[in-house]
Amino acid sequence: MIIRTVSVDCSMVYFDSVISEEVLNQVQTAYHALKNLPGMIDLTPSYNSILIHYDLMHYDYQSIQASVKKHLEALQEGAEKAEGKRIIIPTEYCGIDLDKVAQTNHLSVEEVIALHTQTLYRVYAIGFMVGFAYLANVPPQIATPRLRTPRTQVPRGSVAIADNQTAIYPQDSAGGWNIIGHTAFDNFDRFAIGDWVQFVRV
Amino acid sequence: MAFEILQPGLFTTIQDLGRLGYADRGRTNSGAMDEYAYRWAQKLLGNQNSNALEVMSGLKLKVTETRQIAVTGADLTFTINGRHVPIWQIHTVQAGDILFFQRRVSGQRAYLAVRGGFNAQKVYGSYATTLKEGIGSRLQKSDSLGSESFSLTKYGTKVTDSYIPTYSDNVTLRVLLSYQENSFREEEKIKFFSSEYEVTPQSNRMGYRLRGTPIVPTSDRLISEGIALGSIQVPKDGQPIILLKERQTIGGYPKIGTVLPIDCFRLAQIPIGGKVRFEPMSIEEGQAKMRLFYKMFS
Repeated sequence: MIIRTVSVDCSMVYFDSVISEEVLNQVQTAYHALKNLPGMIDLTPSYNSILIHYDLMHYDYQSIQASVKKHLEALQEGAEKAEGKRIIIPTEYCGIDLDKVAQTNHLSVEEVIALHTQTLYRVYAIGFMVGFAYLANVPPQIATPRLRTPRTQVPRGSVAIADNQTAIYPQDSAGGWNIIGHTAFDNFDRFAIGDWVQFVRV
Repeated sequence: MAFEILQPGLFTTIQDLGRLGYADRGRTNSGAMDEYAYRWAQKLLGNQNSNALEVMSGLKLKVTETRQIAVTGADLTFTINGRHVPIWQIHTVQAGDILFFQRRVSGQRAYLAVRGGFNAQKVYGSYATTLKEGIGSRLQKSDSLGSESFSLTKYGTKVTDSYIPTYSDNVTLRVLLSYQENSFREEEKIKFFSSEYEVTPQSNRMGYRLRGTPIVPTSDRLISEGIALGSIQVPKDGQPIILLKERQTIGGYPKIGTVLPIDCFRLAQIPIGGKVRFEPMSIEEGQAKMRLFYKMFS
């Protein structure tokens, strides 16, 4: 773990430079711990980092690093692990790219659905737009590269796959992911880093 | 009700100091693009935790009840009943008065605040309009804006001349080298600090896209990470993008550093075609400047 200054009022905690569940657990645990530090304005956790926007009336660039370091090191010893919520996504597998995902991977549509629903995914990052959670890992048998040309219009609630990640579009937007289904789920503010997500066929 | 919109203008929205504390859910900060001008408008009126209209030219309102307003920021030829009046000060306006931001002379964004604030709903703790998140909307013709009546006071009516900025069409931005600065070779950094960049038409509340001497990073993607205000993102084509109030919360392009927030506020007043230069700044200097800024408004 290293802490770096990125702007006059933001520092970044970097964990190992890989995308893995082990690193995700570290990010998740550190994020929950940092929420309790005074003088935090915004925390932005992502795959292997946490951006800390802090109050300049509370810290300078050196004292924020010292406080964060002390806080997180104490935590490692205590080894109190953040758990995360479990979120169920009822999904109708009717997406425009479902047949293509099956064909590309030499599977039947039923097999694609079975593989997509049997996996328990983790939230690795939230961004791109509000409530867009990057969920991984998609089983390698159904991992599918993004479209060469993104669509200008992807409807809200679309369930989609890109490479080894899956996600739900929280709003109508442009997008290049393979759409395999649709959900009526609309509580996108619930997602937090490290949460557990399962898709259930309806 | 206190104001009726006769002409909505180019792009008029209600803003405040932004929606802070929700970046972990992917929610952008949003808020006033030029906090310097915004904070002066509020300070003149003695408002706290309030809001203001962020105005580009063309907004015309009719006053329906006596109110005290403050206008700051860009010179958009502000008139009351057709008479050009100074800004960076308080005006008492009466029922029937017509307020008009006629045309841009200098700067880009003006702020119109009213004593006590406009009546509006806070969403996730903030008044900031964020169209891409479906929060609020741009003002439309015939909209009406309410505000509570307050006793009129006579103190603190005008910003001292030395605090009123002159907006030109070029600006030098102070930069803290940070983030992936090591992905930029020394000669790329020299190019960056010695070149002049132009503000392109693809510039908006999310970010300012610049055009000029390309600077090439040694790697073009990284694991997505949080984006601070003023981040200077450099995609493959080498043309810098400065990310402002409505930026995405995370992104995977290399960043050479970050622009001092006060200078982001200045940048928000530079028009399309305006010229931008960069100069390096130390963290100590940057933090001292920002503390002075906050103290001035505390």
